[in-house]
Amino acid sequence: MLYYLIVCRSLTYAQRTAAALERAGITARILRSPKSIAGEGCSHSVKISQRNLPDSLRILRRVGLTPKRIYITAGDGSYQEVAL
Amino acid sequence: MIYLDSAATTLQKPAAVARSSAWAINHLASPGRGGHRPAMAAADTAFACREAAARLFHLDDPEQVVFTFNATHGLNIAIKTLARPGSRVVISGYEHNAVTRPLHALEADIRVARSPLFDQGAALDAFRRELDRGADLAVCTHVSNVFGFILPVEDIAALCRERGVPLIIDASQSAGCLPLDFTALGAAFLAMPGHKGLYGPQGTGLLLCGIDPTPLLEGGTGSESKRQSMPDFLPDRLEAGTHNIAGVAGLLEGLRFVERRGVSAIAAQESKLIQRMGDELRAIPGVEVFQARNPAVQAGVLSFRLKNTDCENLGEQLGSRGIALRAGLHCAPLAHETAGTLETGTLRASVSAFNTSREIDQFLHVLRPLCTPG
Repeated sequence: MLYYLIVCRSLTYAQRTAAALERAGITARILRSPKSIAGEGCSHSVKISQRNLPDSLRILRRVGLTPKRIYITAGDGSYQEVAL
Repeated sequence: MIYLDSAATTLQKPAAVARSSAWAINHLASPGRGGHRPAMAAADTAFACREAAARLFHLDDPEQVVFTFNATHGLNIAIKTLARPGSRVVISGYEHNAVTRPLHALEADIRVARSPLFDQGAALDAFRRELDRGADLAVCTHVSNVFGFILPVEDIAALCRERGVPLIIDASQSAGCLPLDFTALGAAFLAMPGHKGLYGPQGTGLLLCGIDPTPLLEGGTGSESKRQSMPDFLPDRLEAGTHNIAGVAGLLEGLRFVERRGVSAIAAQESKLIQRMGDELRAIPGVEVFQARNPAVQAGVLSFRLKNTDCENLGEQLGSRGIALRAGLHCAPLAHETAGTLETGTLRASVSAFNTSREIDQFLHVLRPLCTPG
């Protein structure tokens, strides 16, 4: 199943992001960012299903939360950055 | 035992505090240090605690809530972010050593806004006067840890905002005991312990950040690990090293208790107990009580002394009879100097939401014979 990873600057930011999405009814799970997309080292991401990206972005914009980067899983298990 | 030393640490806590801390020791790992269940559960607890604090102190963003080990830790971060050698720092005449010692160590130009005890108008005038002489920073305790005097921090904060002077508030005696709105105050920082009016375990504290702070400690944060400088975002910027997650779990339950009970209800209960205690103490010959005429300017802390009696000796006698209160200078020589009690010190009784009027009666019952000459 394809999904998106919203990379966040900190664990607390990821928690705020996930909480905002959950409040809006979107399932969001926090996980450690895969090494290949972690950027400056350890970070946390919020995982959402593919169909929820547009709604998620709208909600995050509304509450003033800015994703650092967003990735989509590729069929081979790698990640591709999504242009925002 | 009758415990009347909540200004140092509340001893009676909601049962959930100890239960939660004990559970955390075996079930919660380190927030941000792994994606496994115990680490993520710890992260959930830490976030819930930040959110509870944000609600209680009226912050929109839980990232501004930083875990510290105590109020002193938070005050050191705040002061060392804003003060430099020679900085003109206005402080009240009721500050604790947690404020004055870091300022002395920094060789700041300390300007004390002196005012008489329990006179909020004079305190405000003194701050205005000192701020108008020119200031780089102001630091003010919300409540004197010796006398329970409630300083008019809302008005002092307004003076500071009008003059563009950053303000640090020491809420050691007011967090959880008096309403505090961090957003409305517009302070640079507000530091508090977790183990007093918030009923958390010792070794916990919170620093609310209104501006970018300078880290006091550098180290691992579980974020941006490739960089050799501290992250530039909160709370990671100030939270190097492993969290006291067992403490945080307990603090969360303490915050929930305060939220349920209501700060105003706690304030009213503590005020009633202290007023009753003060009124009764004043009736004992030889006892000098530091009690506000207007109950609205005194929180749940009260000092007294007995004529021709060493306060430590009296404290010792009370202790041996099951009354726990604190004698001496209470780490606040400046407050004693302001009130004229530096040479004698005082006995300080302080209450929490768990004290009752019956306990106050029992304390007085034990004290009265000790105050009788011969």
